[in-house]
Amino acid sequence: MTLPNAAPAALPAATAARSRRGRRPVNAAAPSHRGDARLAWVLITPSVIGFLVFAVYPTLRGIYFSFTDYHLLSAPTWIGFDNFVELIHDGTFWASLAVTVYFVVIAVALTLVIAIVTAAVLHRVTRSTVVRGLIILPFLISGVVAATVWSWMLDAQLGIVNSVIHAFGGQGIQFLTARQWAIPSIALIHVWKNMGYTSIILFAGLQTIPPSIYEAGRIDGASETSMFFRLTLPLLRPILALVVVLNVIGAFQVFDIVSVATRPPGGPANATNVLQMYIYKKGFGQFDFGYASTMSLALFAMLIIITFVQMRLLRASESDNA
Amino acid sequence: MRKLRIIAGLVVAGLAAAGLAACSASGDAGGKVTVNWWTWDDRQAAAYKLCIPGFEKQNPDITVKISQYNVDDYFTKLTAGFVAGTAPDAFQNSVPLLGAYAGQKQIMPLDDLIKKTHYDLGQFSVGVDSWKYLDGKQYGIPLDWAGAAIYFNEDMITAAGYTDDDIQNMTWNPDDGGTFDKIVAHLTIDKNGVRGDEPGFDKNNVKTYGIGTLAAADFNGQTSWNPFVSTLGWRLGGDKKAWPTELPYGDPRLIKTLDYIKGLGDRGLMPKYGQFTVSAAEQMGAGSVAMAQDGTWTATSITKVPGIKVGIARTVKGPEGRSMISNSNANNIFVGTKHVDETWKWVSYMGSLACQTTAGKTATFLPSIAQALQSTVDAQKAEGIDLSTFVQALNDKELYPAPPTVNGQELTDTIQPEFEAFFNGEKDDSIFPQMQKQTQQILAKK
Repeated sequence: MTLPNAAPAALPAATAARSRRGRRPVNAAAPSHRGDARLAWVLITPSVIGFLVFAVYPTLRGIYFSFTDYHLLSAPTWIGFDNFVELIHDGTFWASLAVTVYFVVIAVALTLVIAIVTAAVLHRVTRSTVVRGLIILPFLISGVVAATVWSWMLDAQLGIVNSVIHAFGGQGIQFLTARQWAIPSIALIHVWKNMGYTSIILFAGLQTIPPSIYEAGRIDGASETSMFFRLTLPLLRPILALVVVLNVIGAFQVFDIVSVATRPPGGPANATNVLQMYIYKKGFGQFDFGYASTMSLALFAMLIIITFVQMRLLRASESDNA
Repeated sequence: MRKLRIIAGLVVAGLAAAGLAACSASGDAGGKVTVNWWTWDDRQAAAYKLCIPGFEKQNPDITVKISQYNVDDYFTKLTAGFVAGTAPDAFQNSVPLLGAYAGQKQIMPLDDLIKKTHYDLGQFSVGVDSWKYLDGKQYGIPLDWAGAAIYFNEDMITAAGYTDDDIQNMTWNPDDGGTFDKIVAHLTIDKNGVRGDEPGFDKNNVKTYGIGTLAAADFNGQTSWNPFVSTLGWRLGGDKKAWPTELPYGDPRLIKTLDYIKGLGDRGLMPKYGQFTVSAAEQMGAGSVAMAQDGTWTATSITKVPGIKVGIARTVKGPEGRSMISNSNANNIFVGTKHVDETWKWVSYMGSLACQTTAGKTATFLPSIAQALQSTVDAQKAEGIDLSTFVQALNDKELYPAPPTVNGQELTDTIQPEFEAFFNGEKDDSIFPQMQKQTQQILAKK
């Protein structure tokens, strides 16, 4: 019984293997490329080792830790799904998730709006590389430096922003120390830092749109605004999808700004206790690495789902150009 | 794939070996043993360096190396050292971390060494019991003690018609606030020059507050609300002096005290929580506050603020006298040290009258040995700073040691946001019984 069944099953696999080989680029087997495989392996080995040691191994180990009670200084103990049960009942985790989502929505929406407008203006008004360089400048500054400088400027007592507000007769604002202001202020710092990079990517995307399309639009009597909404945005969709995905992931991972600009980090009263901050406190503050790993895994799963949904909704691989 | 795994394995092993070799904890330099000691306080690092010549003279075969790392990185670095086996031989530690380090067997019990060398723990006036773990063994040798004091601007006190004695002897109770309340109100001045106890006082436009904020979110309120509520007989550990099973935040005495303190902010007599972002010394220097209750460790810096003369007073006298929580840092020895005896020699030397007197003269810390503390006070008196109130506090037994607890960091992370929410008005005092229940859960965790 075994043999007749096994033989047909083996066939499609062999066929598939042959067909995969058949799809190989023709020149890969060309005489001039023979022996390249070894060189290729040598060249990519450092990256592969780095990837295995610093990405794959920590990820797998993190997944393992999420099923253990692990306090760093003693060996991990397998506890099955206990950490996941704790996660479901942990009010602080859900509050942190809500804070993070609030931050992501403000940060991503503002970044996108400002970056699209900036890119469009750059594209239509100036080709100056100096201006482009200036716009990307904040992105080149370390997050810690940006957060430190902004926390000084937004300081409730001594900050220059409040001095200006006072000079105009306004009441001072506790930007980083009042609950209602803390997340919007952190989001603003994040937007300031990341907007330039996003603008430049969008600007590069805009340059792929043939000028003839705008000429045609102009001949048809379309205004700049209507061309922006009817031509630019639809044609930019693949790049926009990339930018949205990158920004959402980046915003979900916010940590440095919160850690530096809020006192105590995550305060006031957990108003800025974003998920990464909570994970950090659990892991590196309380040494509860098992539970911290579980939360990291949950964040990882959420980001995969969100990215997948975004890619589907934005039909990222196709543009309206086709 | 297998080859790749082998290569990756070799690379990791190589990196680890190189890392270990690079940060080896202690070594033998030319026949001498080096003992590494860490602290987070740069001023104490400098102070204890003064003890090294005396120690090395007594122990010519031992060299001591002191390293200081900022408190923000200190404990993370220490933990990394435990994992890698490269932690210092001995190090300064804080009470809330005793549970974690002793519980996970990273620091060694010192009882055998104490017995073997006839080391006298009885010389310490405070701090010894805070360093006994659940197993009853002694894990730390006290280095210092820290409490709270009231610092006041002499000129503002005089201008308001008070004497130093009035400030030294302020009374307090949670009902009418005692003389403390009257003095704070009178010292507060609004932008129009109206005092806090006069008609027409504008609480929303205050130029000088009577006292710096007492609304702090740390779970023991060491330099803020604790010296007030402790005068009512309340203790952080309840009936237990060590390893409490709950922290009695739901106690009506605490709730009444915290309501009183929050009320000072609402009345415009004290800055509200988060209103000022600079230190008490800077607030006094800027004339924003007339008095400030702060840690004993700020005494030498706050009294040197240029342009003002700052006096030091004891904490308030309440219905049950004066009382405040005190925290004693201590020396711990890493279980992974290769030189137990040499390390113990250094640790026990640091905990001797000779070293405590030498290092203590700088007043960067207050020695736990009463005689050494007196030397500190005498040395500072010569510099024009009067720290005699600290000796009084120690001699009058006004200090009660902070109880060691398990899961100290989780307590902080859980309780702090609740206090913040109370002081900034997001939540009312009904949260405190719930906080007490939270502490039961955290302290019950293994």
